[in-house]
Order: sequence, then C-alpha cells, then structure tokens
Amino acid sequence: MSVVESPTTRRTGGSAPHRASGRARSRRRRQTSGLPWLLSIPTLLLLAGLLGYPLVRMVVLSFQNMRLRELISGRSAPWVGLDNYTKVLSDSVFWGVVGRTVAFTVLTVIVSVVIGLGIALLMRRVTRGVRLFMIVAMMFVWAMPQLVAAQIFRWITDSDFGVVNYLLDKLPGVDYQNHSWFVNTWQGWSVITTLVVWAGIPFLAITLNAGLTQVPKELVEAATVDGASPWQTLRNIILPILKPLLTIVTTLSVIWDFGLFTQNWALRDGHPEPEYQTLATYSYTQAFGQSRYSLGSAISVITVLLMLGVMAFYIRQMFKIGEVD
Amino acid sequence: MVATTPAAPAVRTRRRTDDGVMTVGRSRAGTIAANTAGVIFSLLMLFPVYWVLNTAFKPADEVLALTPTFVPTHPTFDNFLSAFKAPLFLQDMLNGLVITLLAVAGALVVGFLAALAIARFNFYGRKGIILVILAVQLVPLIALLIPLFLMLQSVSLTNSLIGVSITYLVLILPYTVWTLRGFISGIPRELDEAALIDGCTRAQVFWRIILPLTGPGLVATSVYGFIQAWNEFIIINTLNSPEKQNLMAWLLQNQTTRGTAWGPLMAGAIITSIPVVIFFLIIQRNIATGLTAGAVKG
Repeated sequence: MSVVESPTTRRTGGSAPHRASGRARSRRRRQTSGLPWLLSIPTLLLLAGLLGYPLVRMVVLSFQNMRLRELISGRSAPWVGLDNYTKVLSDSVFWGVVGRTVAFTVLTVIVSVVIGLGIALLMRRVTRGVRLFMIVAMMFVWAMPQLVAAQIFRWITDSDFGVVNYLLDKLPGVDYQNHSWFVNTWQGWSVITTLVVWAGIPFLAITLNAGLTQVPKELVEAATVDGASPWQTLRNIILPILKPLLTIVTTLSVIWDFGLFTQNWALRDGHPEPEYQTLATYSYTQAFGQSRYSLGSAISVITVLLMLGVMAFYIRQMFKIGEVD
Repeated sequence: MVATTPAAPAVRTRRRTDDGVMTVGRSRAGTIAANTAGVIFSLLMLFPVYWVLNTAFKPADEVLALTPTFVPTHPTFDNFLSAFKAPLFLQDMLNGLVITLLAVAGALVVGFLAALAIARFNFYGRKGIILVILAVQLVPLIALLIPLFLMLQSVSLTNSLIGVSITYLVLILPYTVWTLRGFISGIPRELDEAALIDGCTRAQVFWRIILPLTGPGLVATSVYGFIQAWNEFIIINTLNSPEKQNLMAWLLQNQTTRGTAWGPLMAGAIITSIPVVIFFLIIQRNIATGLTAGAVKG
C-alpha cells in the first residue's frame, strides 16, 4: 500500500543516505509530540472501556461465582478462587469439547487451504472468461452473511424436503428419503465442515490468487525449460514465494475456525446437542443457557489462552511484513 | 528476475499463437480440462445461492414438494410478501439500519483520528497502539459477551438500541483504524510537506489534502463496517428482546419459534442479504487487503 513513504520514514533514525530527511522528521516530531496521542485518545478510550474492561472483568468473573441470583439482586458475587477452573478442567465433557474444536479446526483449515490454493492455481490456468466466472461465483458466496449461509445449508439438508436428500436418493442403490443428517455425528459435522469450507474458499482462493500474480512468470518458465515437473515447480518455486501470504491466511483461518459458533449454532436450531458443541457455543450455553456466568467466563478464558499462541504468531507476522512494507 | 529480458519476447509470441492462453508449454487439452474444472467448481459454489433464489420464488406447495422443481415454473412474490408482513420484520429492519448507521458513523469519526496518528506521526507508543489494534481484532467476541452483558445490564443499556450501537462501534473500530491507516499512508508524505512549505497549517493539510484523498478509503471502510454490523446477531440476540433486534436475529428467531416456514424464511434471508451483497461487490477489492495488508503488493 504505502509505496512512497516506506523504509526511511517508518524507521526513526534514518540510515546514512537519508540523513537529511531524518533530521526533518525529528524536528517535526518535537513540534507535535502530544498531537498523535490526542488523536488516538478517543479510540483508546473506547477500546479500553468496551473491550479492555470486559476482558479484565471476564478474568475476574472466572474467579467468582456469578449466578442468576447475583445478577438479579445486584449483590456482588462471592469469590471462589480456582473452583471454576478445577470444575471445568476435571470435566470430561469439557475436554470432549476441546478435542472436538481442535479436530474440527485442524481438519477444516487443512481442507480449505488446500482447496483454496488449488482453486487459486486453477485460476491461473483457465482462460479469462472462465476466470471471471469463477471470481463472480466466489464473490457471491463470500458476500453471503454467515447466518444466511447457515440457514441455506439447513434448508438444502432438510430431512423431508431438502434437495441434497432428493439428489442422493436418485443415485442407484441409495435410499436417502427422509434421511436426517444430524443423527449421525460424523455426517452432521461433515455438513458443518462443508458449509465452513464452502464459505471460506472465496477469501482463500482470491487472496492466494492475488499472491500468485506476484510470482515472476520468468522463474516458472525457466524451471519448465530446465525440465522441472509441475509438482517440482509448485514446491520449489511457487510455494516459497507464496509462503508469507499462505502463513497469514492459514493463521487467520485457524483463528476463525477455532471460534466456530454461527454454523453449528444455526444448523442445530440454536440448541446444539452435546456432540455439536464447540468451545464458543459451550461457553455461551453455560453462561446464558444455564446462567452460570462464572463457569462460562472460565471456559472463555481457557479458550483465549489456547488461542494466544496463534494470535501472537499472526501479530508477529503482520509486524514482520509491515517492516518490509 | 535475472531471466526477465530474454524471456519476455518469447512469452509474447507464444501467447499470440496460443490464442489467449497465457502460459508456455501447456496443451490445448489441458486448458480445456482446466476450464471444465473451473466451470464445475463455480457451479458447485453457486448451487446454494441458486437454490435459495429458486425456493424463495416458489409457491408454498412447491416449496414443500417431495420432488423439488429445479426451475420456478410458477414464480411468485408471495414468500416476500409474507416475510414483510411477518411480525417484527419491518421493525427489526429499521432497528438494524439505525444501529448500523450509528455504529459506522461513530467508528469512522473516531477511527479516522487514530488512523491519522498512526499513519502520519512517529511517536513513542505507536507500535503499542498498533499492537493493541491488531490484538483486539482477534479476541473472540463470544468470550467478551458475558462481561459485556453484565456491564451493559448494570447501566441499563441492555434492551436498547444505544447499547448495541456502541458495542458495534467498538467491534468495527479496530478494523476501521487499521484500514484507514493503510489508505492514509498511501498518500505521499511529500504532498503534506509541500503544503506545509506553501504555508498551510496542519489543520489545513488535513482538510485540503488528507481528507479528500482518503475519500475512497472512507467509503470502502464504512461499507465494510456496515457489513460487519449488519451481519451481527449473537450480541443483539443476547442483549435485546425481539422488538429491539435486527434482521439477522429475526432470521434466527424465526427459525426457532415458528418451525420451518422455508419459503418466507428464504425470502427474508434474501432481503436481509441484498444490502450486504451489493455493498460487498462494490468494495470487494479492499476487503482482502485489510486482513493481509502488506502481504500482497500491487
């Protein structure tokens, strides 16, 4: 994005050839030292008030016992120390939810990134008209609100009148009339996974395709002339160049998929059965379904802690790229 | 990079003979196969979109037919009419508009100032602010919902449009700051400096140079904010009762309380999606770049 300014202006000192501009910068900085903070204050206040404070409050809540009684009476909730955590961590249901969420995330991210990359490569290969058609099709899917997409999938997999059952039933030897997709957990999760992958492909494919346009055509051609197979070209030339972008989109996908809520929530009519709970829905159900606000908070804290590594990695990656930028 | 000069002409001649196919050493059969794959993929992706349109325009008895019709033979607007007449549909639509516009306008004003600070000044704490802005985008919203609910409850801002508007404002604020930062730093700093030398004050530089040049960026950012706020339903569904909710929450309520009136539900889903889809198609170029800023150059 920032083409003209970068490296000199971003870094404070300014390297030898740019000493003059560095001096100009430091003078300006002195004149306006308070202004940038003044400009940032409204944003920082809002973020602190409505994101920072709730975050602290969430941690505090997880050490208390906040139930419906405390909520209604307005009395402060009693401190219970680590009780919520010991309760959650010794609960096999919780570990089931963790395992399910992790497994879903790993599987879905791998499937969607591989398909996304495949489609991005395919987009380089097809003629222009077909590429345009692919982009238009993906744009419609990308623009679809998550909840609407989930509702559509609920409808096409409906047991009585769903079109998927109708089409599968047409196959020879398959009886899918009135087949319910969510009785069998594996089938139910494959519907949810399909929905998430379907909705995630456009972002991945279009972003990765944009990244592929940065791969110098000459390199690929040189490799082809030198006798590299398409697979070798992909592995040794295209993927290394694409790696920073691939890392970022994969990290984002992990963060998004790990927080799965809308899809399993909507497909299960707002009441996911135990085997369709993920960490996000589990925490929500504990807090708002059962009024165990503290227990829900403890689950949320654990969720955030589990994600912390991935988030830190994403931010570091953004900073890394930002320095090059 | 080394091979640039000699390779370029070869590509060009090859491209001409191959009639629109761009790359070297690829067969016509391969292109046909790729095109076929591309078309099949697109059709598969579009199928759910096609099916929701197909359903919404069907009369009620055809929606619930054991043998679905793949082409609407008797197209009708009945489903749309009954969606509009459904309880709270118009009310929730209006609520959604009010909340979304308040949140977007607020985020734009507040976020622009911060974006200006990050993009144009090099000050102690700048990296810290960037870190905060990136980090808060990653915090799962559900995790914050419990304390947020208790907090707004204690100041009587649950079940009010204001409480949700402020919450949405804060939700879209980090992205707004981050994207506007990109747009502002895209404006050459030399322009500022030239104006300063010519005798402009800092305020004049802002009004006459930065603000007009960020115009497209402001449009793109506010549209993205609109989409985010319009699509949200978990917070509003938790904080507010049905008559203070938006259309997304309406879609969710509709499914749980009234069973499955698929025709009107799909029609309602289409109505709810229309503004988002239109807006999205307008700004699609900018959306990916915000999330992966810097990773793709061009």
